[in-house]
Formats: sequence, structure tokens, C-alpha cells
Amino acid sequence: MIQEVHKIVKESGGYRIIIANSATSIDEKNKNDVVVDGSHFGVNVGRYAAQAGIKGMIGNDAGKGLDSAGVAGMKLLDEKGIPGAAVSAMSARIGNGTSTYEEGEISTANEAAKKLGITAGMSAKDAADKMFEAALKQK
Amino acid sequence: MQHGTQKVVKTAGKSRIIIVETSSDVTAENSNDVIVTGSHQGSGKHLLACSIKGAIGNDAGKGKENAGIAGLKLLDEGGIPAAAVNNMTARIGDGNSTYEQGKISAANEAARKLGITEGMSARDAADKMLEAASKRK
Repeated sequence: MIQEVHKIVKESGGYRIIIANSATSIDEKNKNDVVVDGSHFGVNVGRYAAQAGIKGMIGNDAGKGLDSAGVAGMKLLDEKGIPGAAVSAMSARIGNGTSTYEEGEISTANEAAKKLGITAGMSAKDAADKMFEAALKQK
Repeated sequence: MQHGTQKVVKTAGKSRIIIVETSSDVTAENSNDVIVTGSHQGSGKHLLACSIKGAIGNDAGKGKENAGIAGLKLLDEGGIPAAAVNNMTARIGDGNSTYEQGKISAANEAARKLGITEGMSARDAADKMLEAASKRK
């Protein structure tokens, strides 16, 4: 497995926004984190995120592609009430979590994310903030 | 953390064609293998470190600055043939889909030398990488 040192961009009350290049680097230790990553948001990624029980995830839509596979994983998160969203592959460099966070523009959001006011066209930064605020309120 | 299994679809001598859902499932033990992955080909760093014999992933729509296939160049530096399938032909994150349905949209120089070209099926491209790997011994 790939080991990665995550970058923490925000921290409050035990909750954090972290940046990861690969969604495969997250686990149960990230259960209080909103994860912004460079990975696509396919079914396998949704599974890793659901298993880790994180507070939210923003990935790359990978151009969506066949059967919208690039964003298919966020439905799995909806089942657990976890907000998930993806940025357009033309707005951020896939594989690079910092690019997702700094440059990404949301193209797709799941129901849980939409409930927080996350919509297409919003910056990934603003969307991450909304997930982070929601996590703080959940306490 | 264990995500997936490695599915062996073909063997030739010491080399194999292996399907994984994510490139992060690949280890240094795969140094004789051709990897077919559901991941994008954005980094290449991990696959290069594992010294594999070839890699086929998803082009992720290529995207900004062709980031979805940026790893192909890095693998070229290691002399490793690598290619990506068009994201409209295979489901990203699903290595079986890459292998069964994928059509090549990008290939690095090392892959081109083996006759791997755009439009070729991922299966045929993997076969060419396996053949080259088995000859190298």
C-alpha cells in the first residue's frame, strides 16, 4: 500500500481538512477528516471512504467517463450520509490533491453534499469548508 | 490496508498479466508482471518504484495539462512500456473493465516500440507487453 503524509489545511475541535494525493492512503484514522484528494471518485474509492468513515470527500471526476464511473463512488457515501463531491478533470490535475483543493471547481455532488449547499461551479475550497462546518456542528 | 486482490489472467515464463483495481495494490513483488489497473495514469511514481514490466491504466479523460496520462512519461524514463485506455471505453477504478473493454488512447515510447497504438484493445496491448517481458529474460 502507498503511504502518504497528508497535508492539513484546516483544523478545529478535533476535525480537519486534509489533502491526499491518493484516496487509497486514507483509513479509520481519518474518521474526523474532510478529505480532499487527487483520485477519481469511482466505486472503489467510495468504498475506501465509506470504510474509513470520514466526514466528507472531494475528488476528481476523471472526465466522468463510461457509465459516469469517475463519480459513481459518491452514491455509496450517500448511503452513509457522508457528503461527497468531485471537481471537473479540466479544472484540476488528477492525482494531485493540492490541485484539487487550490484549483478545482465542483462538477458533481451527492445528495448529502447538496444538502450542505454544495453545487456545481463552486470552488473545491468552499465546498470543503462547508463539509468541515457541517462536521463541527455534528459534534 | 488491503483493498483488492490481484487477478492473474495470463502467464508466460516468469511474467504474468495481473489485474488490479488500483495501482496502489501493486508491490515490488510484481517486478515481473504487466499490470492492468483501474487507476488513472497520472503519477507513475509508484509503478516505477515497483519496476514492473508494463502498465495499462485509464486516461481519466486526460484532463487539465493531460494529468491523467502524465505518468506515462515517467515510466518511459524507466524503459517501462505504459499505455492508457480512453475513459469512455472503460470504467475508471475497475481493472477488469480496463482489460475487457478498454481501447488505448495514449501510449509511451517504450509501448510504441512494441507496436502498441491508439485504438488497440487493452487486451492486445497487454499481450504485447507480456510477450516483450518474457523475451527479456
